[in-house]
Amino acid sequence: MTSHFQIISLLVLPLLAAAIIAFFLRKSGKIAVGVSLASAALCSGITWLLLIKLPQEGIHFSARWIELGDLKVNFGFLLNDVSAVLLLVVTFVGFLIHFFAVEYSRRDESRARFYGGLSLFMFSMTGIVLADNLIMLFAFWELVGLSSYLLIGHYQFKPSAAKAANKAFIVNRIGDFGFLIGIVWCWWHFGTVDLVQLEAIAGGHAKELVAGIALLIFCGVLGKSAQMPLHVWLPDAMEGPTPVSALIHAATMVAAGVFLMCRVFFLFPEVSLEVISWVGAITAILAGFFAITQKDIKKILAYSTLSQLGYMVAGFALGTLGSHHGHDYGVGASLYHLTTHAFFKALLFLGAGSIIHATHHEQNIYKMGGLVSRMPVTFVTFAIGVLALCGIPGLAGFASKEAILNVAYEQNQIIFYMLLIGAGVTAFYMTRLFVVVFWGTPKTEHVGEAKENNWVMLLPLLILAFYSVFAWMSWVYPASLQPVLKASIPHAEGAMAIWLPIVSIAVAVTGVLLGWFVYGKSGEDDPFENSAKGAFNFINSKLWFDEVYSFIVNRIQQPIAEFLSLLDLVLIGGLGMRGSAGGVGLLGLVLRFLTTGNVHHYVFWFAGGLILCGIAIFGVQ
Amino acid sequence: MSNLLLISILTPAVFGLVLFLLPKKLPVVLQNTLASLGFGIPALIALKVFLDYTASGEAGFLFVSNIDTGLSNFGISLKMGVNGISAPLFLLAGIVGLAAGITAMVSVAERMKTYLALLLVMQSGLMGIFSTYDIFYIYFFHEIALIPTFIMIAVWGGQHRRAAAMEMTIYLTFGAMLSLAGLIGIYAMNNLGSFDLISLSAHLAENGLKDTLQRSLFGLLVFGLGVLVSLFPFHSWAPRGYSAAPTSVAMLHAGVLKKFGLYALIQVGLPLLGTGAVSWSFTLGILALGNLLIIGWVTMAQKDLKMMISYASVMHMGYIFLGIASLNSIGVSGAVFLMFAHGLSAALLFNLSIYVQNRCRSFYMDEMGGLGKHTPILAGFFMAAMMASVGLPGFANFWGEFSVFLSLWQWQPVFMILAIFGIVISAVYGLRAVSAIFFGKETESLEEVLKENPVKDLSWAERIPVVLLLVSLLVFGFFPRLASDSISKTTQLHILNESHTREEVQTLEAVPANTILEQTDSADSNAGGGHH
Repeated sequence: MTSHFQIISLLVLPLLAAAIIAFFLRKSGKIAVGVSLASAALCSGITWLLLIKLPQEGIHFSARWIELGDLKVNFGFLLNDVSAVLLLVVTFVGFLIHFFAVEYSRRDESRARFYGGLSLFMFSMTGIVLADNLIMLFAFWELVGLSSYLLIGHYQFKPSAAKAANKAFIVNRIGDFGFLIGIVWCWWHFGTVDLVQLEAIAGGHAKELVAGIALLIFCGVLGKSAQMPLHVWLPDAMEGPTPVSALIHAATMVAAGVFLMCRVFFLFPEVSLEVISWVGAITAILAGFFAITQKDIKKILAYSTLSQLGYMVAGFALGTLGSHHGHDYGVGASLYHLTTHAFFKALLFLGAGSIIHATHHEQNIYKMGGLVSRMPVTFVTFAIGVLALCGIPGLAGFASKEAILNVAYEQNQIIFYMLLIGAGVTAFYMTRLFVVVFWGTPKTEHVGEAKENNWVMLLPLLILAFYSVFAWMSWVYPASLQPVLKASIPHAEGAMAIWLPIVSIAVAVTGVLLGWFVYGKSGEDDPFENSAKGAFNFINSKLWFDEVYSFIVNRIQQPIAEFLSLLDLVLIGGLGMRGSAGGVGLLGLVLRFLTTGNVHHYVFWFAGGLILCGIAIFGVQ
Repeated sequence: MSNLLLISILTPAVFGLVLFLLPKKLPVVLQNTLASLGFGIPALIALKVFLDYTASGEAGFLFVSNIDTGLSNFGISLKMGVNGISAPLFLLAGIVGLAAGITAMVSVAERMKTYLALLLVMQSGLMGIFSTYDIFYIYFFHEIALIPTFIMIAVWGGQHRRAAAMEMTIYLTFGAMLSLAGLIGIYAMNNLGSFDLISLSAHLAENGLKDTLQRSLFGLLVFGLGVLVSLFPFHSWAPRGYSAAPTSVAMLHAGVLKKFGLYALIQVGLPLLGTGAVSWSFTLGILALGNLLIIGWVTMAQKDLKMMISYASVMHMGYIFLGIASLNSIGVSGAVFLMFAHGLSAALLFNLSIYVQNRCRSFYMDEMGGLGKHTPILAGFFMAAMMASVGLPGFANFWGEFSVFLSLWQWQPVFMILAIFGIVISAVYGLRAVSAIFFGKETESLEEVLKENPVKDLSWAERIPVVLLLVSLLVFGFFPRLASDSISKTTQLHILNESHTREEVQTLEAVPANTILEQTDSADSNAGGGHH
């Protein structure tokens, strides 16, 4: 098998699986699961094979996709070190989640549709990862939006799910509105959207860069990676089945925005990076705070994902800002965190899925409790995920968060402290989640009767737990990933090398202890809510983003639409039409008046007509 | 080969006539066989012509033949032939015609025989529009297709059919008259004395019409044809007309016949009236933005499913007009590609909406909901059609919309930004409709309807036209070069003079420094060939 053939099959297999399921297997859930799972397994295997032998310079090949006038777009694949990282994450974590979902979706009547959606997602996501130009990337970007829409709305009889799906698609389209303008601008400015050519033109030529293009491309990231102020769709997206939340809304799709920036890091001038770093930092810290008051286990994890994405975005921006001063850490730091986060956040979501599955779809953490003895494997693996996310040394999350804090410290002290506080908040809300779910006593019958799930669900948990621990060691990756995951990861220098980890560990431990102190003995109520109602409500408002948006939609956009519709009906349709009918009648009256029977008059009108024709032909000089 | 074009026009006409003349109590099988042949043969011919044309790699008219119809004294004869612009639209007419024909046969209408006969006559006209390059006959075939439309709406239509048909007739006749005046103006104002597009463009390239005259004539075309294509604010006939029209008529009109105006503007207006086009392009662009933004907004407020789809179709005309108004090769090629794609997706949506309405027994989306549980296949198809319509990649529409956006940057960046905002608007109304119809719980009124008339998912017969259209959209979405190569070759021939003229007219406009090499090359060659 040549590497070209392997790469093409990465795209063809999931598409084929999705098509077969859509056309033939709608009613045979079991076979559909088999087809989709087989495609995911094959893709994961092919990726490992491919990456072991990936040449240093990467693989690039393409063919002309469309030619319309001067617009020429290729359909091409560019597998270099940056895309190799995400390819591994997508296919590997993707396969594990496909596997997990076999058990999770057992009782789902629309299992075939679910797996068809997963395969469609794998197809689109792989397309984003491998695309060798921005237009092709955008095409798959939108397709990822479609699969996300389909999967969020999977429980389509639930109005809330349908609403969340619409919201996700539309908010992403708002981001894509900017992204598309950015692509067009980029095409006219650089004369190409091909990534290799772009790097050749723009790479290292800071004066060629346009902040506008960079920020518009970042609009796409705002949508897909759910950065503020377009973050509102992600918490709602938790309406989808939990494996979907793990795969799409935690590990891979939402990381596509970060990946996009790393893919075109050479397009970002300093000004744009300043802006982007602030967006990332604000998202990181605010979303962390929002997670504190959530009671739905998936929503807590969703806000946590938002916050971690903020870290990646800020890390990219600050690191790349540094590259303008000599070194190239932005891509490394954010990709590294993307990778470890994909493992431990997928682990946490699947752990949550395991709990939800065992407790008959209970999602409120205050209804849970006492699961430590009832679900020991889930407990252990979940604990590893929590520790990794909190940034406890020895686990993957520590190393990657450290890398981001390090570039932040070098570039922007204020952002550094924001991210540091954010790390403490992360430790706090994760401890809350962990303690409330696993300690104490069960609050409902279903939780009390919860039993550990079977091996189909536990095996992915164990594998992900393994990676959450060891993903900071290079031997767990194929050799070809080492350059980007090792060499370009910043390490603290001098005195920093000692005290930065100490500070961040101290902050994380403080967060954990504080969390344990506040929530250690909570019952069915939230102790924080009981003791400090005002502060709780303020955080719980999530700064009224949703309220503002729904005001705009319901009180501004909709009335304007109704008004314009009325105007269209009355003014253009009614008056215009009826008016013109009346006009014709009036014209008839006037013309009848002109029909005098007098030849002299007719000659006069005839001359007038000639003059009018003359004006039409020769104009008024 | 050239005979095939003629056959594609004559077959539906002949089968239509036969159906009309046959006795009333015709066995259904015979009636459907005749109709299927009448729609199927032109579709197959269209496919063959399209594939042969694209395989040839040519840019000009191919498969040319000349049939004397006794009007040669006036410089009129039936000159058959297709070029890169008409070939895909010819295919569009074939595909949508077949889909509409099947939809008509599946539906239960009274006096089906006459209906099918009229629909076949319409189909004959549609095949004619895109297979001749004699301006007179392009117009003639348009009228052949238009007249049965009025009759079918007035007789077989739904709510308010008489009023809608009346309004549509007056409006469209008015538009057609204006554009006829423009076309005759072109004929009369040069000394060639011919309606032949090829000789006319050769002739006018040497002795162009005076600028003022070009301006007047192109103005007539913009407004005349604009009315026919529901250019804002001349669109009022469209939503009411379509929502009253029987489905197969709406499919054929919104999908194919409406494209006549755009087609004439590109095929006739641009190559013959270059300067006129430049001076009208800004106005045209503004009106097109009216289609996109104002009508787009109006679409969001629609509660009646068919009205919503009609308004959406009006909105999408804005993209095509903008592509034409950009007057560069990307925009015009994109406009042609989008005409093709929109024809398929609009027909598909009209087709599916009647399936929805038949099952819900209601026009209003508020009264639907939760239908997806009962009809998953219909839901899947409808969602796919809506996604195609909102320009999701993978469907042909995406390429058309994208290249139109791209083309606007060089001309009017603000127009581009406003136009791209259209993708948000269409996503809003598109997704709202899908979730209002198929998701959530059944409304009370729907539950009552379902109690009395349990719904079934799409039957196989209902699926055929849907699959036909959807597969075409996907094929051209995944493999756009099938159509785009020949489209862009032909439009580049057409645009050669235009881009040059625009530069002359707007000399003050700064030329972007970083446009790609190829463009400066082609601009140079334009400059070389355009001075006379």
